[in-house]
Parts: sequence; C-alpha cells; structure tokens
Amino acid sequence: MATTKMGFIIKSLPYKTEASRLAMTHAIASQTVEIYLEDGDMVEPVVCFIGDGVLNCLKNQATAKHYDITSIEMHIRNSLLLDLKVLYCKEDLDRFGIKEDALIMDAEELGGETKAQIVPYSEIQKEMDSVNHLQFF
Amino acid sequence: MKLGVFMSDYRTGADVVDRLSADKLGIIFVGNGIYRATLKEGGSADPILQKSATFYVLTEDLESRGFTAANLAGNIKAVTYSDVVDLIFNDYEKIIWI
Repeated sequence: MATTKMGFIIKSLPYKTEASRLAMTHAIASQTVEIYLEDGDMVEPVVCFIGDGVLNCLKNQATAKHYDITSIEMHIRNSLLLDLKVLYCKEDLDRFGIKEDALIMDAEELGGETKAQIVPYSEIQKEMDSVNHLQFF
Repeated sequence: MKLGVFMSDYRTGADVVDRLSADKLGIIFVGNGIYRATLKEGGSADPILQKSATFYVLTEDLESRGFTAANLAGNIKAVTYSDVVDLIFNDYEKIIWI
C-alpha cells in the first residue's frame, strides 16, 4: 500500500494562457487514476498558488457572463469539493494587498467542506519537498 | 498625433510605453493588462499610471478576473467593448498593441 503525492504549483496568471486551467484539471483528474492502481494504493494531489498565480484565487470571476467559459474560480471550488489540498502563498497575497475576504476559500455552495489555506511560502516549500512528482504551471 | 495604446500584459511592455510621446495619448488596459489598473504591488500603483495619458480598462476583462470598477483609481475609466470601438474610430488616429 503506497501513496503517491503530486504537487501542482501554479505561478501563472489565470487567463490568456491555459496554464492555470491545465494545472487544475490535471490535479482534479489525478484522483481518477486510482482505478489503475493496486488495491490500497492512492494518489494525493496538492495545489499551491505562488507569485502571480495567487491572482487565480480571486472570487467573483465573471468569465461565464462575458465570455461564456468556465472560470478558474469554478475549478478551484471543484477542487475543494473533491477535498484537494489547496494552498495560497501568504507573502504573495500580502505583496498584492489581497485580503482573505477577496479569495475563494471554500466550496460551501456546492456542498464542499474542505477549505483553502493561506500559508507562508515555507509551508509550500515543505509540500514541494514532500511530493513524489512536482509540476510547475 | 492622437495615439491609442492597447496593453494586454502585466509584466512586459511598460518600457515601450514609457518612451512613447503623443499630443493625445490613450492607454487601454485589456486582458492581463487590467492588473496594472487594479493592483498595488508592494503598496504602489503601477508606474505607468503616472504617465500623462487617459486611461481606460475593458470592463469585460476586469470582471472576468474578479475585479470591478470599484477597484480602479479615479483617473481610470471602465469601458465596454462598444466604448472601445468608439474610442478607436472617434478619439485616436493611430492604434498600437503593446
């Protein structure tokens, strides 16, 4: 029985490129590979937002209204609904002057119970140290 | 000349805009350029906002990224796609994209 831990580190801005969206869909999809694993084996994804990537985490993204596309906000909420570990870098939020009330912190309206966490970069570094596979987006 | 400048990046292009000169200069933030109009990184507004120009932000791109016109400084005007078309045809002789 083994757990494979995967780190998805998002440093890109939310739109114009597909990097953030790819990271989120990969992180969500990573759980589905369990059907290919041995009994008892698990995959544990962790999603971390650093640098400009923390701007993915602002709520009230109106992409559906203006461009008829799903928002990164919905991807983050779906991740929380699926109990993924989602971390936001505190130092980068502070650098942009972004407060917690402006951020997507939960998926309560979807019935989710897991909350995103604002953590110092040192905690994200620990996550990067602990994962088996590390991917930057 | 009357020059309209579209800025769609957050991290690049400021050096080019900094050297631009025009009798009438309009800077229109679109795409990721809207972060220049909304964020105060390290507590300071983007230096480009010190330039002598008229500033606009495309509302659709502003709201898609989780901001509203309330996040803008007083010298920046939120405009719609339709407004931008009017700016292009009525207010500026030349348009460039940085």
